[in-house]
Amino acid sequence: MKVGVSNLRVKYAGAKTLLFNNLSLQVEEGEKVLFLGPSGCGKSTLLQILSGLIPNAVPVPMKADQVKTPESSGVVFQDPDSQFCMPYVDEEMAFVLENRAIPQPEMKKLICLYLHKVGLSFSDPHVEISSLSQGMKQRLAIASMLALEPDVIFLDEPTALLDPEGTTEVWNTIKQINEKQTMIIVEHKIDEVIHFVDRIVLFDSKGKMIADADPKSVFSFYKPKLKEYGIWYPGVWDEHRKENNLPAPYVKGQQLMVINQLQGYRGKTPKIEVSDAIAHEGEWIVVTGKNGAGKSSFLLSLMNVMKTTGTKSVRGQLKTIKASREQLAFVFQNPEFQFITNSVYDELAYSLEMMDDRNVAEKVKNWLEAYDLHHVQNLHPYQLSTGQKRRLSVGTSLFGDQPVLLLDEPTFGQDASNTFKLLDLFEQLRSKGMLIIMVTHDEMVVQNYATREWVIHEGKLIEDRKLERREEEERYAVDSTI
Amino acid sequence: MQWTLQYEETWLHRLNPAFKLVFFLSLFLTLLFVHNPNVMSNLTFVPFILVLFATGHRRIVIALLLIPFLLLFFSSASSMMFFGQGSTTWWRWGIVHITEESFFRGLHIGFRALNFALLGLLFALTTRPVFLFYSLIQQLKVPPRFAYSFMAAVRILPVMVEEFQQLRAALLIRGVKKKKGLRRVTQSIMLYAVPLLSQSIRRAHRIAVAMEAKQFNNKERTYYYKQTFSKVDIYFVLYIIAGFCLSYWIGYTFPYFEITDVRN
Repeated sequence: MKVGVSNLRVKYAGAKTLLFNNLSLQVEEGEKVLFLGPSGCGKSTLLQILSGLIPNAVPVPMKADQVKTPESSGVVFQDPDSQFCMPYVDEEMAFVLENRAIPQPEMKKLICLYLHKVGLSFSDPHVEISSLSQGMKQRLAIASMLALEPDVIFLDEPTALLDPEGTTEVWNTIKQINEKQTMIIVEHKIDEVIHFVDRIVLFDSKGKMIADADPKSVFSFYKPKLKEYGIWYPGVWDEHRKENNLPAPYVKGQQLMVINQLQGYRGKTPKIEVSDAIAHEGEWIVVTGKNGAGKSSFLLSLMNVMKTTGTKSVRGQLKTIKASREQLAFVFQNPEFQFITNSVYDELAYSLEMMDDRNVAEKVKNWLEAYDLHHVQNLHPYQLSTGQKRRLSVGTSLFGDQPVLLLDEPTFGQDASNTFKLLDLFEQLRSKGMLIIMVTHDEMVVQNYATREWVIHEGKLIEDRKLERREEEERYAVDSTI
Repeated sequence: MQWTLQYEETWLHRLNPAFKLVFFLSLFLTLLFVHNPNVMSNLTFVPFILVLFATGHRRIVIALLLIPFLLLFFSSASSMMFFGQGSTTWWRWGIVHITEESFFRGLHIGFRALNFALLGLLFALTTRPVFLFYSLIQQLKVPPRFAYSFMAAVRILPVMVEEFQQLRAALLIRGVKKKKGLRRVTQSIMLYAVPLLSQSIRRAHRIAVAMEAKQFNNKERTYYYKQTFSKVDIYFVLYIIAGFCLSYWIGYTFPYFEITDVRN
């Protein structure tokens, strides 16, 4: 046995029940094990216990008859922005080598060696970490973990906060690590890992182990569970499409938004330029493009939060933040930044009260039900789960009857069931005639929901294409009647 | 977003950082015991010349950074001039009372403040935090766990600035009704501090766990950067000593002001 626990019991402060009750698990040398389960089931906690981080680094009350941790463990965490303590790539790698007390003259060579292993070859590794893409940062995290020469590798959702491109990048890197390496993986997006692991351990929401078998068997016997737990498994999109009979094809609505020579500035540098564009009711426009291309700047320019020239209009010119707010509902990428009160109810009531609406109580009640937040209405917004936070932030922005909804990567980092819930909510709004403009990296959202795509490249809107899917469906429907 | 200033490395960057820190602190102390405004005004040129010509930063950056220091000079000098005590009255208007003594005392304080500020700027512009902390560990035997925590904290700062900008945009878009008077202050603190702090605390915790996962501990460790002393340190000390001597000599031989001790 390489690592393992027997009869493990864990209790988090304030929790009424034990997280694990007499859990036993053993992992053999060279095995690659994937832990699956709904969020909050304790799989990350278990991973940290097996790696020795709990209770050594993170004190959590636990008891077990036996805990076998590896002699040295390497852990990669999910957030690319909070794994490093040094500003430069070489310094971060050196930090690990310093911890291992490697003599200074050997460091340069080793740094290049480990960076090379993850495909990060810089001519001079003295590169600022903040200049790397999120995917590259995660590869750097893998390199610094490899520099520990660990016995067992632990991966704690290493791609949860990456776009699809970065996800593939990171998994390709991990797959190149030594075949005999023992690995324990927690991951929600399993498309890429499924052929890589030998064994899947499935947990239920109370942290009870409900399956421990090879991937194939787990798939054939527990698929409904995977769906319930919001796991991104291969084919989940196809199933979603089948189940939901994707919504009615897009019928061109009335002209709603007109943009003319719009330029948005940060300081004196133009960040985004849209020469002219017209959008209609009931359209779902996805805004795509590389990181830093100016997608978010585009949305902020529409809101007048950035300094702009040119014109934009929705039922009249939008010249001030206030005018924009009344026509455009804006949902931020980080929902927490949008919350300003101390309870879910107040959060939804806030904007209404500001507009001296008389039916506050009734409207809020309807919204709580529409967004499935009724049971948590008295909680502080920060106490909600990620999915609930996102739904609340949509709710708070849609306070009036704004005809346009602007979304900045709303499905980012959400699990499958939350993502589908959100997309269905947006689709409902769209079918009632709302114009949706959504920044996204997710190709599947583009393919399955969007009616139109705007591609932004280096601060310019360079492509405006109608997406064919819905029209194809329409054509198909006509054909079949013959 | 670009947060680091572009600069060329000069000899000042090669000073031993821990030595530089201690030396600058002792300079601060020494300046407190200079009471001759002639000498003090001359002394201001010692760091000023280095700030202007030897930091390796672009002129425009230095010019921008000097603006607040001139303000500092005028504000600290004028408050002493207007309200200080003295026997030879030059001008009196209401509570404003300028005397010969208070005028020179104000000038003296102004130069001292400017001197402190220029030395601080010189230190900040020519010292990389990472080197400073390595040097503190190696020369001053600061425990690594404190030094590395500081380095991690320095890394969080730009992230916090970015978060602050996002938060500001989010609040603008939500359209927060501004309260009036004092309550507005408490309102802004609540609106900004709670989200920023909650983000930072969680981030700090994650970084700490990540550092421990990389086997950061109190055991024996080696160092990637070796901070040593060099000839440059001697040159710097010589420059300062020469500067002091020259300032004193000029101050006493060719005084601009009649007063030689502001305490009297």
